[in-house]
Amino acid sequence: MRIVVCIKQVPATHDASIDPETKRIVREGVKAILNPFDTYAVEEGVLLRERLGGEVVVLSMGPPKAEAVLREAVSQGADRAVLLSHRAFGGSDTWATSYALACAIRTLGGADLVICGKQAVDGDTAQVGPGIAAHLGWPQATHVMQIRSANPGSIVAVRMHEDGYDVCELSLPVVITVVKDINQPRIPTLRSSLASRKINIPVWTPDMIAADTARIGLDGSPTRVVKTEPPPPRQNASCRIEGPPAVCAAALVRELRIRNLV
Amino acid sequence: MKQHIANHIYHVEILPPKQDSEKLDADLQTFAEKYQRVLDSDYCICLTDNAMGHLSFQGTEMIQELGLPVKPEQVMIHLNTFHTKANLDEILHACIEKGIRDLLVVTGDGSDRLPKLHPADIGAAGVESVTSVELLRYIGQAHPGAFNLGVAFNPYEPEEHEFTKLDRKIAAGAMFIITQPVIARNAVVDKLLATCPLPVALEAWMSKKLHLLSQAVGYEIPENTVFDPIETLRLLHRTYPQCGMYLSLLGFKTQYHLLTDTWVS
Amino acid sequence: MRLNTADERETFQHVWVVAEVLSGRVQSVTHELIGAARALADLRRCDVWVIVLGSGLAGQTDSLIACGCDTVVVVDDPALATFNDEAAARTLVQLIAKYRPEIVLCGATTCGRALIPRVAVLAECGLTADCTGLAIDPDNGDLLQTRPAFGGNILATIRSSHHRPQLATVRPRVMKALDPDPRRLGRVIREPLTPDPSDALKRVIEVFHSTETAVNLGDARFIIAGGRGLKGAAGFDLLRQLATRVGGAVGASRAAVDAGWIPYAYQVGQTGQTVQSTVYMACGISGQIQHLVGMQSCDLIIALDKDCDTPMMQIADIAIVGDLFEIVPELIRQIPEP
Repeated sequence: MRIVVCIKQVPATHDASIDPETKRIVREGVKAILNPFDTYAVEEGVLLRERLGGEVVVLSMGPPKAEAVLREAVSQGADRAVLLSHRAFGGSDTWATSYALACAIRTLGGADLVICGKQAVDGDTAQVGPGIAAHLGWPQATHVMQIRSANPGSIVAVRMHEDGYDVCELSLPVVITVVKDINQPRIPTLRSSLASRKINIPVWTPDMIAADTARIGLDGSPTRVVKTEPPPPRQNASCRIEGPPAVCAAALVRELRIRNLV
Repeated sequence: MKQHIANHIYHVEILPPKQDSEKLDADLQTFAEKYQRVLDSDYCICLTDNAMGHLSFQGTEMIQELGLPVKPEQVMIHLNTFHTKANLDEILHACIEKGIRDLLVVTGDGSDRLPKLHPADIGAAGVESVTSVELLRYIGQAHPGAFNLGVAFNPYEPEEHEFTKLDRKIAAGAMFIITQPVIARNAVVDKLLATCPLPVALEAWMSKKLHLLSQAVGYEIPENTVFDPIETLRLLHRTYPQCGMYLSLLGFKTQYHLLTDTWVS
Repeated sequence: MRLNTADERETFQHVWVVAEVLSGRVQSVTHELIGAARALADLRRCDVWVIVLGSGLAGQTDSLIACGCDTVVVVDDPALATFNDEAAARTLVQLIAKYRPEIVLCGATTCGRALIPRVAVLAECGLTADCTGLAIDPDNGDLLQTRPAFGGNILATIRSSHHRPQLATVRPRVMKALDPDPRRLGRVIREPLTPDPSDALKRVIEVFHSTETAVNLGDARFIIAGGRGLKGAAGFDLLRQLATRVGGAVGASRAAVDAGWIPYAYQVGQTGQTVQSTVYMACGISGQIQHLVGMQSCDLIIALDKDCDTPMMQIADIAIVGDLFEIVPELIRQIPEP
């Protein structure tokens, strides 16, 4: 069984602080990490391989330094990794990204299952997973919180909804996106970390994946960001309450009453 | 711990490398060197467990993979509640196998990457969440007599709360205590020493980074305070001759050699 | 599809809303989006259509027309009784090819987020997710889509100049439904579902409805959330009591969830739930950016902390400096039971 897990390197935003004057979030020079949802995707792939045999290939599209998250995925148990990287991919929106990833999956020789994290915490669109399914013409299951059973030809997946869940049986090949808590991602061992640093990660370019240049990068992106600006400041004037607990509580209750909230 | 205090053996804290290190080979080398140096000085090496929730390599794993020698009285491992049960048992077995007897059992700091023990995993009934108390009890039941179990004590938390917690830890099997950083005579520490019969080591902050120290002790130490870690260590020895010393953030290049004449009683 | 000539742009007309249907019932996000669509359609001088895909949909079209829609297209088929991404996407793509809408809106719900990206690829058009603002460019009529990016630090405006239709998803409770006018008239078009052999590749075998297992903070008016400052699971008992007093719900920061004090279902933030409640009261939450992203659009933010300098205390509208273990019990004492 070949399981392809698509992962992304994203900025880590823990170190950001608030500018006290503008009350806006200041994004310092932040570290790059593996998208948190993708750790669960990698783990689910590795768990399935342990059950059914085969290989887990992790795939990412990004700048050269994105290779770090591919190695991290290998230290978590993936068998091999491929990085899609080239200037021509730059500026891709989710349409062009999912197109490129679909081309890469075909170039790998296809797969039985493609697993993505639910969404990337920088773009937050949750579009690439279903986009890959559409480009490949495969069925999809999103917001998967459990794979109940799996065999070489099909899987039974539990999909989360706002009002509960449903269970569907899908014939492979299929694309799934997974949510947090589908599993407990294993902690890499020192041995696997050292081994992951030594493996060779091939870098694939558009011609190596038979990608139509009109459908990648900026040219291949139907959407374009035309403007970015800071969010409008919060309208309310801030008020501070201090003092003995009973006084603080009374002051807050008064504020809530004024606004008809209690 | 009693022996360590009697024999003037320092506890030296070493953090295993973080998993996301960009220079892992160099970090492993530095770790091995520090480890060996502490061992050769007859001090006790204390290895942290994912300190502050930063995913790092495990102490016993480091010893195993790097083939580091273990002298039973000279290695202490921190153990917190952020492990799977399987991993916890692995670590305990590894310690027994290597003859490591000293464990510092703490609740620890989690992160979204770290797993967490569930009460049911370790037979703890009636608690919402596993703390050092439940972990102590589990280790004592699973491996009776195998370990000397230490616990943390924070003199900067509300007093009553902290002493109550300590009582629970002692009831669960605590045998020695290590405190948060102490930089001068401290009334809560005095009370601890007066009321508790267990041996106590004080954490001595060996770095000049005061803002980190402020975070640890929970109150703001003014930036312009002149803080000489070695002088403070001498002061602690004079003020608390009955206590051991747990050295954190020790500068191996700049301070280590000064330790030869600090512990005088 | 990609526009090859300027004239082609004019052949796409009308603003569509894809209805959110759960258990055969149209959800309120649909009415909210009709409100937004109506404003856009008025600027573009065209109609609002609502596309309803589901099964057993009798009687659901009137409220849609009353809330501002001119045409309802209904695809009523047993195959659509459960959420069927592939059949729904295929149907929408066929309808788009047949009727050529200019703009298509959909709720950014679990269904919407599964369905619309698939449609965007199959119909080769641009999609912007989680829009907080929709406007029309007065110069060329393009849809201007505004959404938060980079952890909410930036508002990005996005457009699709060379592809039609323009797709956008919007979260529930961001747009406002219009007051229903029962006198409004509209028409209903029925379209069939064309079956496809690929439909056999996925089969829903069980559906489970529960408001219990899904902790949906999205509907809560008043959220009281706890963080590291609660120091333990017991702290959440206090918050639960307060929540009962104010008729609210309990939430949590990642720190509290990671520490095992409360299940992940209650987590608010980037990898948890995003909430837009009327009141968000953060107790002992420092306000790391991943948390702020999940709640910074709440109307009234109250922060309760010993430390007056945390990010949460700085962005709060009401900042209370004090010990939550003393103040929360006081609040419980002073607020009468509902």
